[in-house]
Amino acid sequence: MTAVLDSVVTEPDSSRLHRLRHHNTTVWVTMLLASVASLVASFVLSIDALALAKDPHADLGCNINAVISCGTVGTSWQASLLGFPNAFLGLVFEPAVITLAVASLGGVRFPRWFMFSAQAIYTIALLFAYWLFEQAMFEIGALCPWCLLVTLATTLVFFELAYVNIRDDNLFLPRRVQAALTAFVRSNLDVMLVTAWLLVLVLAVVLKYGDALFA
Amino acid sequence: MSKQTRLRTQELREAQQAAAVKRAHRRFLTWAGALVIVGLVAAIVVTIMAAGGRERTLPDVNGAVVPPQHLTSSGAIPVGNTDAPVTVQIYYDYMCSFCGAFEEANSAELDRLVADGAVRVELHPLAFLDNLSSGTEYSMRTANDVAVVADAAPGSVWKFHSDLYAQQPEEGSEGLTDEQIAAIAADAGVPAAVVDRFTDGTYRPWVASVTKKAFASGVEHTPTVRINGQEFTGDLYSVGPLTDAIESAAGR
Repeated sequence: MTAVLDSVVTEPDSSRLHRLRHHNTTVWVTMLLASVASLVASFVLSIDALALAKDPHADLGCNINAVISCGTVGTSWQASLLGFPNAFLGLVFEPAVITLAVASLGGVRFPRWFMFSAQAIYTIALLFAYWLFEQAMFEIGALCPWCLLVTLATTLVFFELAYVNIRDDNLFLPRRVQAALTAFVRSNLDVMLVTAWLLVLVLAVVLKYGDALFA
Repeated sequence: MSKQTRLRTQELREAQQAAAVKRAHRRFLTWAGALVIVGLVAAIVVTIMAAGGRERTLPDVNGAVVPPQHLTSSGAIPVGNTDAPVTVQIYYDYMCSFCGAFEEANSAELDRLVADGAVRVELHPLAFLDNLSSGTEYSMRTANDVAVVADAAPGSVWKFHSDLYAQQPEEGSEGLTDEQIAAIAADAGVPAAVVDRFTDGTYRPWVASVTKKAFASGVEHTPTVRINGQEFTGDLYSVGPLTDAIESAAGR
């Protein structure tokens, strides 16, 4: 009886796009690419931080033409919240994400507690990334392309990690919540949510800086 | 039909109905999501097109360009001894945080050198950071006000200028209010009748025109500091290097 019900209710959408999107490889490759992008951005930002440390006035001023018109992000206190450049955090943590993605592509299954902890830690990383984005947008008033790349990549990694953990039921959630999230993910509403969210960010950037960017 | 079979059929029918409701629900959410996404993309495109059609953030002010009195032949606001051996030209914007850092490091030294008659400062107030004051046009307002003071109370220009930087607002804030700026001017010794002219905006067209002229003439960022016409490329943000450069220019 329950078998019949299940097959009626879930009724997997079998379009090619749907299958590709939910394929294990797609998920981990996306995470791998995003974490590599994040690592590269962190690397560039770290080198910039060193250059700024050596010469705090390296080409600083309120530039007339650049989008980054004034008060460069790199010299703000927010850029070294913990007493060292934030980018160093990326250098430390992104390789762990890369390892996770590569190992999973190779077929490794990590224990539930491990995946749960990864999600918890990455949630902190996501909050930090968005706090920095908010500060850069509204407090520092400047755009930093590499920082934006980190924001984007962090969002994608978080999203894929959450996808896996919902799919594999790793989050120790109440059954009702778990079922709702599973249905949400199966209907691809999560993809829509992330797409809409990223578009909102793009809209915010062009609304605030469109003049400087495109005029 | 046995009782059991009937029950089974009914259960199946109910399950199918529930599934249909769920499907419709999901289809609705999918369409709503797609609509939101399309709307966002449209909004982004419209914003970019609108931005592309606008001029850059250099101020555009209608009205006749009326320069304030007492300007130098190059159109700057002079401070100090006309016959001083060294001229220091400063291009700046009152919202520019790096200009604030420059003032913090050098204003006491410049004060001393001006008082000694060793240096004459030429101020070039610009207004190109109005996009950093949440729509209150802080750069434009302050540049206009300093022009008013230069016109009618030239003796107070330097103090007013320094005091504005001493209370510089954060980039991205709304800047100081007109009342706060008026209070700073009054404290700097600007007569009340002159302060009252601040809100007339008489010199806005002049500020807009000198801002454009400065950029056209090769000023690329603020602060730009020139010593006897030569751009000073040393450290602008610590005490000493500028003074040394001025002294060596005086010795030449």
